[in-house]
Amino acid sequence: MKNSQLNRLCETPMPEVQDWTACLKTIGDYQDKARFSLLFEHFSPRVKAFLIKGGHLNEEKAEELVQETMIKVWRRSSTFSPAQASASTWIYTIARNTRIDCFRKQSRENLESLSADDIYDSSYEDDSHYSSLVQIRRNDHIDQQLKELPQEQSEVLRMMYLQGMSGQQISDSLGLPLGTVKSRIRLAIAKLKIGFASTYKPD
Amino acid sequence: MVTRHPDTDLLVEYTSGSLSLAPSISVTTHLQFCENCSNAVDSLNQLGGDILEAAEAVPVCEDLFEKILLGIDEGSPESASPHGAKITAVDAISDSLPRYVQQFLPKGKLRWRFLSPSLRLATISVGEDRHELALHRIQAGGKAPEHDHNGEEITVVLTGCFSDEDGVYQPGDFIVREPGDVHRPFAAQNKECICLSVLSAPIKLTGLKRVFNPFMGFSPS
Ligand SMILES: [Zn+2]
Repeated sequence: MKNSQLNRLCETPMPEVQDWTACLKTIGDYQDKARFSLLFEHFSPRVKAFLIKGGHLNEEKAEELVQETMIKVWRRSSTFSPAQASASTWIYTIARNTRIDCFRKQSRENLESLSADDIYDSSYEDDSHYSSLVQIRRNDHIDQQLKELPQEQSEVLRMMYLQGMSGQQISDSLGLPLGTVKSRIRLAIAKLKIGFASTYKPD
Repeated sequence: MVTRHPDTDLLVEYTSGSLSLAPSISVTTHLQFCENCSNAVDSLNQLGGDILEAAEAVPVCEDLFEKILLGIDEGSPESASPHGAKITAVDAISDSLPRYVQQFLPKGKLRWRFLSPSLRLATISVGEDRHELALHRIQAGGKAPEHDHNGEEITVVLTGCFSDEDGVYQPGDFIVREPGDVHRPFAAQNKECICLSVLSAPIKLTGLKRVFNPFMGFSPS
């Protein structure tokens, strides 16, 4: 970025951002480009790492997809709701869907022009059979406990979430039986205390 | 009440983006009915976000932000709900299905193929050739032919309910059949049952002597 532009963006002194979720909310509410530049500086190198580790992307293509992802972040920021997701979660889903669409275009799938956003869409939930309880769906413990997982479990989670590998692909790549990969996933998820069906309680 | 849910590792593949298109549609369909799994998916997305946050940063080109500023000035902000226009239900059956599922239905009427006196099928094309996505419709009190699977089959009940040797399945229930599971589903007496199904290989009808497979028009290209 040119200095002149930086100066223009930073006319008011910008405190160091600690809370990216609040920052993203402000960007959405006020189309705040200065804050967007800070969010960009923090997230775009991580999004690029995510895209490159997902494999088969050269430098140029990865940059192109970072650009695509961050433009979507800007355009959709007004729909961002801190009650539903943190900034990193929200940006992760946008980057993931962008990567999926890129791979599907490369493999000549997706001729019906269905995008990953359509597939993952949860905006229909209002119609569903359960009441939409207002709740804050953030579990601050996940981040902390992720660091405490045994290496063999966090490795599998990173291969899945960062590199976009399926259980079968990890099994092939590590030379482990698929059952072992699946049990590592299950143990890790149990340690992260992510609730599943067994905890379901009817009203 | 929904009692059958996708496995943990399936939800992990779903949220990490490695699950194919058709099985992903079946999971999102289940989420329309299941608050518990919706919350789990939110947490798993958060796990993805935390892993993204902890990723080793790779520097981006110096001029990338300028390019993005040019890009955002060209377009307008996206509206909150761009989906209304995609809903294309044109008949009573389509209209009875979850709105999420309706967006994948062909424009115009569903074309039901007759598989047995009580079972009809309409395939849904989503441009994926590793799986076949379809709607199954078992008429009230009807039985589907007994069948076996060469591949994995995922079924999500959309309306009505059906039973087999293992239990009764209600709207939202997510059932996975592995190869070799022989079963014979039948619908409740008073209401027809419509399910979404995802098949990764053809089904064999075991109740019939001749080898033929009208159950699914599976044709990988
Ligand atoms: Zn569920």
